[in-house]
Amino acid sequence: MSVSGVGAISASMMQSILDMRKQLDSLEQQLGTGMKSDTYSGLGLSAGLTVGLNAQLAAITNFTSTINTVGTRVSIAQTALDQMTSFGTDVQNAVSQNGYTLDSNGQTTAQNTALSDLGSFLGLLNTQVGNRYIFSGNAADQPSVDTMDHILNGNGAQAGLKQVIDERNQADLGDGLGRLQLTQPATNEVDLSEDVAGSPFGFKLAGVNSSLTGATVTGPSGSPQTVSVTLGSNPNPGDTIQYQFTLPDGTSENITLKATTDNPPGPNQFTIGATPDDTADNLKAALDTSVRTLASTALSAASAVEASNNFFDNPPQRVSGSPLSSATALVNGTSADTVMWYTGGTTTGSIRSTATAQIDQSITVSYGTQANEQGIRWVLQNIATLAAVTYSPSDPNASAAISALDNRVNANLGVPAGTQSIQDIETDLAGAQSSMKSATSRQQQTTNTLTNLLQNITTVPQEQVGAQILAMQTSLSASLQVTAMLSKISLVNYLS
Amino acid sequence: MSLTTALSTALNGLNVAQAGLSITAGNIANAQTPGYVRKTLVPVETLAGSTAVGVQISAVNRILDQYVQAQLRTESAGASYADMIASMYSQIQSVYGSPGADSSLESVYNDFTSALQALKTSPDDSSTRTAVISSAQVLTQSLNSMTDSLTALRSQAELGISNDVTAANTAMQEIATLNQQINGSVPGQATTAALEDQRDNYIDQLSKLLDIRVVKGDNNQLSVFTTTGVQLVSGPQAAQLSFNAQGAVTPQSQWNADPTKSSLGTITLTSPAGSTTDLIASHSIGSGEIAAYLTMRDTTIPQAQAQLDQMAAAMASALSDKQTDGTPAGASPPDGFDIDVGSLLNGNSVKINYTDNTTSTQHTITLVRVDDPGALPLSNTDTADPNDTVYGIDFSGGMASVVTQINAAIGSTNMVASNPSGNTLEIVDDGAPNLVDVNSVTSNTTETSLAGGASQLPFFLDGTTPYSGAFTGAGSQSIGFAGRITVNSALVADPSALVKYSSSTASGDTTRPNFIYDQLVTTPLNYSPSSGIGTTASPFTGSIGSYLQQIISQQGQAANNATSLQQGQDVVLNSLQQRMDSNSGVNIDEEMSNLLNLQNAYAANARVMSTIKEMLDTLMQVMQ
Repeated sequence: MSVSGVGAISASMMQSILDMRKQLDSLEQQLGTGMKSDTYSGLGLSAGLTVGLNAQLAAITNFTSTINTVGTRVSIAQTALDQMTSFGTDVQNAVSQNGYTLDSNGQTTAQNTALSDLGSFLGLLNTQVGNRYIFSGNAADQPSVDTMDHILNGNGAQAGLKQVIDERNQADLGDGLGRLQLTQPATNEVDLSEDVAGSPFGFKLAGVNSSLTGATVTGPSGSPQTVSVTLGSNPNPGDTIQYQFTLPDGTSENITLKATTDNPPGPNQFTIGATPDDTADNLKAALDTSVRTLASTALSAASAVEASNNFFDNPPQRVSGSPLSSATALVNGTSADTVMWYTGGTTTGSIRSTATAQIDQSITVSYGTQANEQGIRWVLQNIATLAAVTYSPSDPNASAAISALDNRVNANLGVPAGTQSIQDIETDLAGAQSSMKSATSRQQQTTNTLTNLLQNITTVPQEQVGAQILAMQTSLSASLQVTAMLSKISLVNYLS
Repeated sequence: MSLTTALSTALNGLNVAQAGLSITAGNIANAQTPGYVRKTLVPVETLAGSTAVGVQISAVNRILDQYVQAQLRTESAGASYADMIASMYSQIQSVYGSPGADSSLESVYNDFTSALQALKTSPDDSSTRTAVISSAQVLTQSLNSMTDSLTALRSQAELGISNDVTAANTAMQEIATLNQQINGSVPGQATTAALEDQRDNYIDQLSKLLDIRVVKGDNNQLSVFTTTGVQLVSGPQAAQLSFNAQGAVTPQSQWNADPTKSSLGTITLTSPAGSTTDLIASHSIGSGEIAAYLTMRDTTIPQAQAQLDQMAAAMASALSDKQTDGTPAGASPPDGFDIDVGSLLNGNSVKINYTDNTTSTQHTITLVRVDDPGALPLSNTDTADPNDTVYGIDFSGGMASVVTQINAAIGSTNMVASNPSGNTLEIVDDGAPNLVDVNSVTSNTTETSLAGGASQLPFFLDGTTPYSGAFTGAGSQSIGFAGRITVNSALVADPSALVKYSSSTASGDTTRPNFIYDQLVTTPLNYSPSSGIGTTASPFTGSIGSYLQQIISQQGQAANNATSLQQGQDVVLNSLQQRMDSNSGVNIDEEMSNLLNLQNAYAANARVMSTIKEMLDTLMQVMQ
């Protein structure tokens, strides 16, 4: 603003005093606020740059807070997964003890361990970070799994694991022969065949080995599969025949029968009779006994393992047909008839991608986990199998059945090669953790650089402003002094 | 020469000394009066034959350098223009807030993106969702209030013009009146000099308001013109300025040379003869405070507003615009595409990409739906795409009329539009002659449902209606949109729609949060060059954050330039003013020495008189 001259003080002198005063004011403001200017225009050409820098810094702050949030989630998930692994090991140790003493509930010590571990395992699967269920995939606001009570015992019309095991047991055992049929089409022939071709239940004939002298052994062949043994002459004592079976859980069992002259024969032996026809009768009787025993022990255990696999499948598989003992197919269970143990979200894509976080301009980590992932589910279903099965103290085969189940659970918890394990999930998450760690250190450096740059633009050093104020003060007071002196040098003062 | 002659000569001398004293007294008294020009006395000797027999006052001179005065007036118009522009710019600057302050637009925007980032990480968390909504509300409110501030500044400019016009009228009237008075008075008189001082003072005032040129005529009459030649004062007659203020100023208000379309006031000059001129339409005012107000009202602030509007429009469109590709046309040849135009809103468009086989070049045609024939025709700059040809199609007459209009628009390209059924629009090429191939037909529609099954959502609304960039007779929907943008109230009521794009979406699904974040933070968008950022040939393309950076940087620089201009003008004006003052101003020292001289002259004349008296007494005594 231009100023008209007033008396002896020239306009430019007044203007420069005013300018100095204005500068002093703005320096004072800088000293007070520490900022170079309170408007963008005051920052000059760097105005746009500060906006960019602030945006970048804000973005990095966001990434940092994302990394903090996600880091917590992932490390809690890691801890939970570690514990799940240890439950698996715990149950493995328990079943290796080979304890066959049943408590009042019809369960062994190992089974009790499994039951309590199952409760803890399910609790872990419902782990929350904040309000987020970390094992629920993309439905993080829903619990991952149902309660242990519902899962084991069912919920109203919905069947639980125990019921599913029981039903499958009926279907697998059939009339006690494990869905096999033992016939004698000719007097010197013993045929062992599956009851229905393609049925998923019971024993499957896998092969036969015979050293019986004079016997014609064929199969397994035909539909349904049949192993046929025709005795052309009596075998020699010590000759054996071995039947090989595949069980519903994929395990194999054998029955080896030895020809003997003892009468009555020992276990897994058959007496050589007077004629091959007599011997065939004996062979059939021995085979019947052995198959029934195997059915009530190994098959029963394999059935429980497979039933558990069916129950934990998505969708669960239920035995179809009535009576159950002659069922020939599995059908998909629905939420109306079966407890859906997994209550989190499902995805058609990758499970890790159900939770993602952008941790840097172009880096996104995926850390989603679902309780029904193969690795977790496998351990869970094996612990649950052990926990669900009960035995009767009066059952003579109880010990063998317990042993068969213990062995299977023990083997399964070792995690078969080629399937996902909990460690694989942990490895995935560790990858995300290391990405976040390196992003953090990179961002720390960037933040330092950017903050420095921003401060250079927007803030002023106190010392510098202080010095400027001093200089300005000196020159302003000098100007004022001179002005005052000049105004005194007027003729008016010297006229009397 | 007789004693009595000497006596009367001495008396003359006394009178002149007295008159000189009164002039000096006047100078000293008015030393601080603005516009006062130092006066001096011009004494001349009175001759009887060749002998000086006395002294008399020939004139009272005004010590004035007219060249400096004219220059000063020109520069004072420039300086008050620069002052006003700088002061308005500094007010605009305050609208954007302090750098990095919590309430500044950039911080508010950064907070919003932070909330979106958190939503990407925890889409299922209801507090995160609410944080997105509330930070979006802060952002829209801050755009709203910035628009209010800009509009208030515009209305302040409108008021300023009104006040300045009144002041200019007063000054012009006074100049005319003083012209008349000076015409009737004798030149060289002290009173005339005082009138001239007053007249100069009013001219100085007028020169601050607008750029003027002063021409001196006969009889010491001054005529005042604008620098472009419009006569404001002619001798005793002054023209009359009038300003028709238009009440409330809104972002949509616009000055137009056609008074029926103008929603802002214009300055009309009525000459003494009664003819009228629109000073704004004729660009007659080039400088001064009025010109500064006009620049602010009609250019600078609307541009700042357009920048905010573009930002708001980009935010709304980026989230709600949905592109749908056409399906191949049923019967072929001719080959082409079918597209459903039933869901097009006013402002939505259909883009046709085709190859002209005669020149082997690709072209793009954009057909924009409008519902008001008053909005037609549209210009190619109505879309942010620099390479398309834009046609507005009036949909109010039904599909038959739409097809007719489209065929009229695209007929020269050899493509043919038809309406096979319902709301389907079919665009096909010319078949066998193969002069043209249709490459693609894409519709751009505005999503209006929160759960439309796709990532797009109407996050931001124009008040309560969707923002589709509609065109009406009153202009584009984008004008002033920053003042009306709100967060969709349905979204406020149910923030879960930030994640759930359909009823079966899982709560932790990041599809929509990722889309919102990407569109608002990273995706490059096009911005209309009407905001002064980018040009028609190469419009600015960038993320919303980088556009914001452009706004701040451009406005900051403009404000800086205004300040530099102002400082430069002040230097020029001050040096001129100083020259003027050193020449025409009152120097007390000089007046004091004049006083001494006059005192001595008076004493000497009195001494002469007393000597003559003594001589006469002596003579009388001799006579006795």
